[in-house]
Order: sequence, then C-alpha cells, then structure tokens
Amino acid sequence: MGKYFRELSVAAALVLLLVVLAGIAPAFFELQPLLSRLTAQTPALIVAVGMTLVIICRQIDISVGSQFGVCAVVAGLLAAAGLPLSVVLLASMAAGAAMGALNGWLVAGLGLPSIVVTLATMVTWQEALRLFQQGKFINLPAGVQWFGLAQQRGQLTLIATAVVLLTCAAWAMKNLAAGRHVYAVGTDAEAARLAGINPRGITLGVFILLGALAGLAATLNIVQSPQVDPKAGGGLELKAIAAAVVGGVAVNGGRGNLWGVFVGLLLLATINPALTYLHVEAYWEKAIQGLVILLAVVADGIRSRKGGAK
Amino acid sequence: MKRHSLIALLLALSAFALLGGCKDAPSGGSNNSAGGKKMTIALLPKSKGNQYFATVEKGARAAATELGADLLYDGPTNTDPAKQNEIVEGWVNYGVTVIAAACENKEGISAALKAAQDKGIKVVTYDSDTTTDARSFFVNQATAEGIGNTLMDEAARLTGEEGDFAIITATLTASNMNEWRKHIEARLKEKYPKMKLVDTKPCDDQKDKAQQEATNLLSAYPNLKCLMAICSPAVPGAAEAVKQAGKAGAVKVLGLGLPSENKAYVKDGVTQSVILWKVEDLGYLTIKAAAAVAAGSLKAGAAEFDAGKIGKMEIQGDNVLLGKPFIFNKENIDGFDF
Repeated sequence: MGKYFRELSVAAALVLLLVVLAGIAPAFFELQPLLSRLTAQTPALIVAVGMTLVIICRQIDISVGSQFGVCAVVAGLLAAAGLPLSVVLLASMAAGAAMGALNGWLVAGLGLPSIVVTLATMVTWQEALRLFQQGKFINLPAGVQWFGLAQQRGQLTLIATAVVLLTCAAWAMKNLAAGRHVYAVGTDAEAARLAGINPRGITLGVFILLGALAGLAATLNIVQSPQVDPKAGGGLELKAIAAAVVGGVAVNGGRGNLWGVFVGLLLLATINPALTYLHVEAYWEKAIQGLVILLAVVADGIRSRKGGAK
Repeated sequence: MKRHSLIALLLALSAFALLGGCKDAPSGGSNNSAGGKKMTIALLPKSKGNQYFATVEKGARAAATELGADLLYDGPTNTDPAKQNEIVEGWVNYGVTVIAAACENKEGISAALKAAQDKGIKVVTYDSDTTTDARSFFVNQATAEGIGNTLMDEAARLTGEEGDFAIITATLTASNMNEWRKHIEARLKEKYPKMKLVDTKPCDDQKDKAQQEATNLLSAYPNLKCLMAICSPAVPGAAEAVKQAGKAGAVKVLGLGLPSENKAYVKDGVTQSVILWKVEDLGYLTIKAAAAVAAGSLKAGAAEFDAGKIGKMEIQGDNVLLGKPFIFNKENIDGFDF
C-alpha cells in the first residue's frame, strides 16, 4: 500500500467521482458518448507516456503541443493526397522524431536548459505552422475516418492501441535496462555516468521518443473526424504534464509510474464532462483542474519533506 | 549556461523577424494618360494568404474595376500589427488617394493612419476598426446585435420556437462573443418563451474540443433540440458530434462560420444553417465607400450610402452597415468558396 499510495489515492478520487456520476447522472455511462470520450483521450494518453519519460529523466518538453500540430498537418496533407495510412503514420512519426531530436540535441548536446529550448521550439513550430497553413482546415478523403472501419470498431481499435502501448511502455520502464537507465539519469546524471550509463544518449533518446509518440498521437487524432484542424494540439503539453504530475511523477526527476499517469489523465479528463453532466457551469472547470494539480504538488512537497521513499 | 539559453532565445526571435521582414513594394498605380488623375485605393487585409481576405479582395477588385480606380492590395503574410504599420507608411510615401484598412490592433495602427490623414490621404476601416479619430468611416460587416438576433431567430425557426438549446463559444472571456451572447439571451427572453438555454461551453477555439463538448451536451441534456456554435471551429465540431451520436436532423446545428468548412455537413443535413456576412460584398462596399469619401460625396452626417449593385446601405453615426448577416444553407452554400 505504502509504495503505491499516490496512485491508489488518485484512483480513489476517480472512483468517487464515477460513483457520484452513477448516482446523479447515469447518462454519463451511455455507451456512445463514453466511447467517444475515451477515444478522444487516446492521443493525450500516448503523449503523456512520452512526457512521463522526459520528466523522469529530469527534463521537460513544452513544445509537444506544437509538434503534435505540425504532425497532424503533415499527416492530414499526406492522407488528403491519397497516400495509405501506413505511410501517413510513418511520415508523421518521422516528423515528430525529427523535432524531438532537435530538442534532444540542444538539451543533451549543447547542455541548454530544456524549458528554454522547448519554449523556443514551441513558438517556432507554432508560428511556422500558422504561416504555412493560415488556420485552414484540411479535408480528408472518405476512407480515412476510423481507418475505414465502422465507427464503434474504429474507436475500440484506437483505445486498444493506446492501452497496449501504455502496457508495453510500463513493462519496459520496469524490466528493460534502458527503462531503468532513464530513472538513473533522472535521479543523478553524474552517478549514472560513473555507473557506465550514457546520460546524453538517454536524454536525446527520451526527446526523440516523445516526438515520435506525438506523431503517432497526431495520426490517431486525425482519423477521428473528416477534417484536420491545424490548431489541434494547443494546450496538449499542459494536459500531458498535468497528468504526469497528478499521477505522481516527481517534477525533479527520477520517480514516477506510467499506471499512475494513466489514472491521473483519466481523473483530469473526467472532470470536464462530469461538470456538464452535473449541470455545473463551465466557469468552474479550469479552477477545479488547477486545484487537483495543486493538491498533487502539495502532496509531493509534504512527502519529500518527510523524506519519504523515492 | 545562462548565456547560452539567452542566445537560443534571441536566435528564435530573430528568425521570426526575418520571416516577417520581407516586404513587397506597391505594384500597379499607373497614371491615366487621358488627363485627370486616376484614383489609387489601397486595401489592407489583416493577413494576405487567408481565404476570408482573399474573398474580400475579389469583391474589392470588382468595385475598383467598376470605378476605374487602381487597387493596391497588400498585407502581412501572417497577422502582424507591426507589418501593417510598415505597409501603411509605404503607401503614404507612394502617395495613394485613400486607404481602407482592416486593423489587427486597434491602437497600434492609429498613429500610422493619422500620419496618413495629415498628408491628405483619406482613411476608412473595414472588418475591424481603429480608434475613431484615425479614420472617417468604419465599414461594419455586422453589429453584435445583428449577429445575436440572427443566430437566435434562426435557432427558433429551426426548432419551431420551442425546446432546449446549448451554446458552444471559443472562450468564456472573448469579449466579442460575450457581446453576441448578451444579445442572444436578450432576444431569447424577449421573443421565445418556450425555448431554454441549458448550457454554454467553451471550446478553446479548437474543433476537437468543440466535438467533445457537443458529445457530452447531447447525452447530458437528452431533450436538447439545437446546438448553437458561435466560433468558427465549433460549427464543424458540433456537427461531427451530432453525426457520431446518430442524431443528425433530430438535433439542429447552426453557427457562425465559413461555408467552406461546413459544406459537407450542410449537404448531409447535419448542419442546417451557417451564418456569416457576404464577405465579397464587404470588399465591394469598402471600396465603394472609400472612393466616395475620397471624392467628397460621402461625408460625416450622411444617413445612407448608395453602394451600386448591392443596394443602399444604412449609416449609423460613422459606421456604414453591410446589413443583416447572411444565412448559408443547403440551397445556396454551393455558390460560395471562402
């Protein structure tokens, strides 16, 4: 219990919210809107996985929303040109990986602080995209939505893809050497280096991985409707970071669990629809989300003061 | 370390300056050899490559050809208030007769426009106004009251004047949209007692977020008869949610948006009405009004302006009104490509 206290308390908050909804607004659990809501969160979940690795490595990437937007437009234009979805997916992931590699090189290679580097790339990609696309939607051909499957089957495919990816990543972080190296570098890069780990290589790697995952997420997003909005991805970085923080990932690196992030994302993503179903005015949404994040950070602060376990 | 990060930031910033810095010289503007000086009208869009302003230009060209005037059309590639000032200064040096500007920043451009007026160049604004002392007339495409009333009346028409409806807006703080909402609610109270506004949701000006909000609204309010989207990405977002919920036709969708982004949904019967002004007419009226101000035939105090083929336009104070917003639907949407 002690080891997973944080994950369990976030899960308890989520269950409590769901019980309240079941009592007051059972319509929340209607199948069609429920599936739509879960499907809509799959891109955010995939990006949150990548973000978690970056934060565990004691870095941050606030450019991921802009990367997502660029990847969505790349994927949208290629899909609109009639290319098969496998090519679209690879190109979008390659574009994301390239942007991630630039961040990684500036941070790991030149030793620049990641908050400044990714602030600069965030604005650069965002403005370049605006210049290029002028806010215009991209119309996709008929067979792209839901990979050409029926709506419900398409949604289940997307949800399954994201959950499988999460499971694999969680397993790898625990059982593979590379996963444990990320924790080691985030805890103490110098000690990791002395132990024979290459901290620069690991740091570069997590940025590239996050970029590639942003590309994957963008492709899984464009198949959900017949038009691509180039502004998609705005605010995604905050969503991913918030999910990680609420899910118990330490902002100063070295500690965190992907299942915790999963529950954190579900909790944050349930607050907004819950307000609609409980007929509470939208003015409260941001305030409540902010409060949840604040609670998580305060809990972390108290725990580290008490010198709790890593 | 600190210095490095500063350099990185500076590099990123100077990259923008370079991107926005290339400037086109005014083109055209030959003098009429047949004696009298030809009028040169300069038209400034908020940004050049955007469909909306490309359509404004189309209407403007038609008016300029009709008047036998030269039309200069230039603007920032991206919305950029500083670049707008540069272009205006270029036109002042070149010596145009009249400038018609859509202002990105109300206060930011007023000094440049006032300097133009000091040199004897007439100034009108359209689409978005500057401060009132920096121009003689504002060509107003739609008043907040006109937009609010048209949206509410159309929602009432689509639902038979009864039932629940919800609004999707960009943000709860956007001042123009709050102004529209105020008029929507006033009209609702005044004319449609059997209709009820059950919720208002922000979508952060994103289509996907609007789709999620609409999905939740459709199931949280089972008696919902109509979704009203008052920012442009929310119209296709709401339509996609209605389509995915299998409620096309049962729940009406209307909103303020571009015909091109909504054509497929309108044709499929998911979205019933898209509301906007006729953008081409805005360009036409702007040039007609600019020419009339320059020729001295349109002066302060006028109550009406004859805009030729699009008819007589009302003037309120120093605003030339384009008239009621236009409703795009299944019957007419094919004729519009912006």
